[in-house]
Amino acid sequence: MSDLLRRLRYLLGRGRHDAELADELEFHREMASRQGRANVGNLLRLREESRDAWGWTWIDRLGQDLRYATRMLAKSPGFTLTAVAMLALGIGVNVAAFGFFNLIFLSALPVRDPDSLLSFQRRAPQAYASDLPYPVMDFYREHTRTLSAVLALHSTDLTLENSSKPAKAHFVTDNYFTELGGAAQMGRLLEAGTTAPVVVLSYGFWQRHLGGDPQAVGKTLRLNQHPVVVVGVAVPGFSGLNLNQVDVWLPIARQPEFVSGSELLTSYSGDANGVQMWGRLKPGLTPKAVEDEMSGLAAELRKRYPKEIWENETLASEPGGYVKLNGGGQRGTGTPVSGREKLFPILVLVSSLVLLILAVACGNLGSLLLARGVAREREIAIRVSVGAGSGRLVRQLFTESLLLAILGSTAGLALGAGVLRYLLIFTDAPEWLNPAPDWRVIGFALGMGFAAAMLFGLTPALQVARQQHRRTVARQVLIGAQVAASCILLIVAGLLVRALTHAVAMHPGFEYQQAVTIDTDLGRYGYSPGRAKVYLETLANRVREIPGVQSVSMVSSAPLGRRTSIIGMVVDGRRVDLHSNHVDGKYFETMKIPLLRGRVFEPEEKNAVIVSESFARFRWPNEDPLGKLIDPSNNRQRVVGIAGSARTGALKDPDAAELYSPIEAEEWPSLLLIARTSGRPEELLAPVAALAKSQDPLVFPALETMKESFRRKLEPAERSAAAISVLGLTALALACLGIVGLVTYAVSQRTKEIGIRMALGARPGDVLRSVLRQFSVPVIAGLLVGVGGAAALSQLLRRELYGISHLDPTAYLGAVGVFVVTATLAALWPARQALRVDPLGALRHE
Amino acid sequence: MPKIDMPPGALVLLILRVLRAGPLHGYAIAQRIHALSAEVLRVEEGSLYPALQKILLKGWVTAEWGTSETNRKVRFYELTAAGRKQLEAELDGYDRVNEAIQAVLRTA
Repeated sequence: MSDLLRRLRYLLGRGRHDAELADELEFHREMASRQGRANVGNLLRLREESRDAWGWTWIDRLGQDLRYATRMLAKSPGFTLTAVAMLALGIGVNVAAFGFFNLIFLSALPVRDPDSLLSFQRRAPQAYASDLPYPVMDFYREHTRTLSAVLALHSTDLTLENSSKPAKAHFVTDNYFTELGGAAQMGRLLEAGTTAPVVVLSYGFWQRHLGGDPQAVGKTLRLNQHPVVVVGVAVPGFSGLNLNQVDVWLPIARQPEFVSGSELLTSYSGDANGVQMWGRLKPGLTPKAVEDEMSGLAAELRKRYPKEIWENETLASEPGGYVKLNGGGQRGTGTPVSGREKLFPILVLVSSLVLLILAVACGNLGSLLLARGVAREREIAIRVSVGAGSGRLVRQLFTESLLLAILGSTAGLALGAGVLRYLLIFTDAPEWLNPAPDWRVIGFALGMGFAAAMLFGLTPALQVARQQHRRTVARQVLIGAQVAASCILLIVAGLLVRALTHAVAMHPGFEYQQAVTIDTDLGRYGYSPGRAKVYLETLANRVREIPGVQSVSMVSSAPLGRRTSIIGMVVDGRRVDLHSNHVDGKYFETMKIPLLRGRVFEPEEKNAVIVSESFARFRWPNEDPLGKLIDPSNNRQRVVGIAGSARTGALKDPDAAELYSPIEAEEWPSLLLIARTSGRPEELLAPVAALAKSQDPLVFPALETMKESFRRKLEPAERSAAAISVLGLTALALACLGIVGLVTYAVSQRTKEIGIRMALGARPGDVLRSVLRQFSVPVIAGLLVGVGGAAALSQLLRRELYGISHLDPTAYLGAVGVFVVTATLAALWPARQALRVDPLGALRHE
Repeated sequence: MPKIDMPPGALVLLILRVLRAGPLHGYAIAQRIHALSAEVLRVEEGSLYPALQKILLKGWVTAEWGTSETNRKVRFYELTAAGRKQLEAELDGYDRVNEAIQAVLRTA
C-alpha cells in the first residue's frame, strides 16, 4: 500500500482519526498528571501539528475560505447576482460560439469507430476533385489491401409525389449502415447484398412527410415516379458522413432505375457526376500507406484509361470521421483551397467578437470588485489588525473570485448550451447534432471562468490587501476598455446591417425580379450533347410562346444560382475573382444587362468573349479593350463586347468581375434556361413544368424564381447581421450598466464635496460637469480605440459587405452615435442624484 | 535533569527500536525512551505525536485499540514488516555514520 493510498484513506476517515488523536493526547495528559507533570502544553495545537503530517491541512483552510466566501457572497446578494450574471453572459456567448465550433470541427461524427475512417479526394499536381467516377471507386474497392471496407455515396434530388419539394436522396453502397453502425428506429436498414428497389427513410423525413406513421414500413413511395418500398427508418441519431440533410437512402446499384439514362455506374469520365468515397483503415496501418497503395492502383488503371485517370493521380485522404463540411461536387485546377482556409477569417472574426463581449463583462466585474473592495476596507482593516497576513487576505479575496468564477461558469455553460440549442434549431441543423456540452466545452467554460477570475479578481485582491489606492486609474482603464470593446461590436453590427439594407436596395447590375431559372440538368439523365441541344431549344421555343414571356436564353451558370465557375486572376499583383459564364446572344436582353460597347455573340460563334465593364477597367485601365486578347497567348478569347457590371455570381463581393463566352457544343447537357416575363414570375412556374413534362416525362426540371434565389442568397447575411446585432446590443447594455454603476459610486463618494459646492452657489450644470468630467477622457479614448479596432477587424469582412466599404461612414457614425447617446443617458440618470444632494445634510454628515 | 535535544531523524529510529519488543501506546513509548536512555533523553509530546503520525503514514506501524495499565481504552502502536525492514536499514545506516564520526573524532 503506498503513501498516497494511506493518505486518501486518512482523508476519508478524517473526522474519526481526529477524534482518536484527541483521545490519545487526552490519555497522555492523564498519565502525565498522574506522575505529577501538570503542563503538557496546548493540546489543540499539538493535535493540529500532528495532523499536518498527513498533508491535508490545505483542504481545511480551503474549506474555511470557501465557507467564509460563501457567507460574504450570500450577505450581499445584489452584488453576487450582478457579478454572476455578468460572468454568465460573457462566458455563455463564448461557450455558444466554442460549442458550435466544437460540434462542427472537433467532435467526431456519431458513427462506429470514427478514427479509422478516411475520406478521399482525387488529387494530381495540377487538378483535384472531391468526387470519383463510380467504376474507379469500384476498382479501388476490388484491389485495396489497406482498407477493410470502402463506402461510397452519390447525392441527388429526386421528385416526390404529392410534394413540391424534391427529396434529398443519398445513393449509398450496401455496407453504408453496417460500417457506420447505424440503427433502425423501425424496420431494417440496407444490408450487404440488398438489391431490391428499397428505400430507408431518415427520421426527420419520416416525421415530416409521413407524419411519423407507425405503419410506414412496407408502404410504397414514388421517387422520380418510380415505385420503391420503404424497408425502415433510421434512428434520429444516425448522422451519415456529412452535415447535409438527407431524406432517403437508396442502394447505389439501383440508381439508373431512378434517373433514366444515368451512366453513373459505368462512366469512367470525371466530368459526369461521381461518388464521394470513404474507407476504413485496417488496424495498424497509416493513412500514408493507403495513399501510397492508391497511387499505385491509379497508375495501373491509367494504363487502361489514359484519358480519364490523370497523370500522377493519387487519392488524398482526410480523417473521415471528422470532416463534416465535405459536401462533394468540388473540382478544379491547381491545389484546392481547403474549407478550413476559407473559414479561417470568419473564425477569427467570430472569436474576436465573442471575446470582446467577455472583455466588457469582465470589465464590469472588475469595477464591481473594486467598488466592493472599497466598501470592505473597514472589514479588511480589522482582519489585518487581528493578525491576518497579506498572503492569507489575498487568498481569501481570491477565493471569493474563484467562487464567483465557478458560479459564473456554471450559469454561462447553461446559457451557452441553451443559446446553441436555439442556434441549431434556427439554422435547420440536422437533428443528430447534439448541443449538450461535452468535456471540451465544459473545460472551456471552466477555463474561461478561471481566466476571468484571475484577471479581474487577483488585481483588486492585491490592491485591497496592500491597502493601496490606485483605484481611479484602474477604474478609468476598465471603463475605457469596455467602451472600446462594445464600440467595435456595435460598428461591426452596423456594417452588417448597412450591407444588408444596401443589398436589398441596390441595383445589382441586372434585373432579377421578373425572371425564373429552369434547371433541367440533362446530363444526369444521360442526354448526349446533340439530344440536349434539341431538347433545350425546343423547350425554349415553347416557353417563348407562353403569354407574357419576353425573352428566354441559355446559360451555364444561372444568375444568383447555386453553381458558379470562378477563375482567380492576378494582374500586376492585383487579384480578381472572374465569374465565368457561357451564354447565348439573348442573355443580356433577358437579364437586362446593358451592352455598353461592341456586340453580343452571333449564333455558333467561337473565339470571342464579352467582358464586364469592371473587368475591362481592371485588365486594361487606360486602353480600349475591344479587339484585345485577355491572354496574349490564347487567341480564343478576343473581346467583342463590353457589358455593364452585374454581380450575378457574387452579390457581396466588390472584387468580382464577369467574363462571358459563347456556348460550346459539348456543354449542352449541363445548360440551364432563364426566362423573363412581364407578369408575375411565380405564374410562369406551373406552365413551364407542364411543358417540360409533356416534352420528356422522365426529366424533372428544378424551377425557381430569381426573387427566391435572391432571398436565399441573402439568408446567411441576414442571420449573421441578426446574431452580431444581438451581440452588439448585449455589449452596449453591459457597458451602460457599468457606467451607471460607476457614476452612482462617484456621486456617493463625493456627496460632501458636492454639498459644499452647492452651498457656495454652484449651478446644477457645474455640479454635473464636476461629477462626469473624470469619465470623459476614458470614454473618448475608448471610442477612438474602438473605431480603430473596428476598422482593423472589419477588413476580414470586406468581401461580405455587398459592395459597401468596410469603413462606411454611415455605419461608423451610426454606431458611435447610438453608443454616445445611450452612454450619456446611462451616465446622466445616476448623476441626477448629485443635484438632489442637500447641502446642509451633506455638511452635517460625519 | 540535563535536557538533551534529539538529533533530527533519531526520534523515528528510537520509536521503531522500542516498538521492536512489542506494541506500546504513545505515553509508554516516551517513558521507555526516557528510561532506557538513563533519563537523559526526554521525548516532548510536541515531537512524539507528529513523528508517530508520520510513521503511520509511512506504514511502518499500525495502530490498534487496546487497554492501558490504568484500564483505559487507548491506541497501541505495533511494528509492521515494513517497519522492521526500515528499522534494520536505519540501524545499519546509523552504525556506519556513527563509526565514521567516531573515526573522525579519534584521529582529528
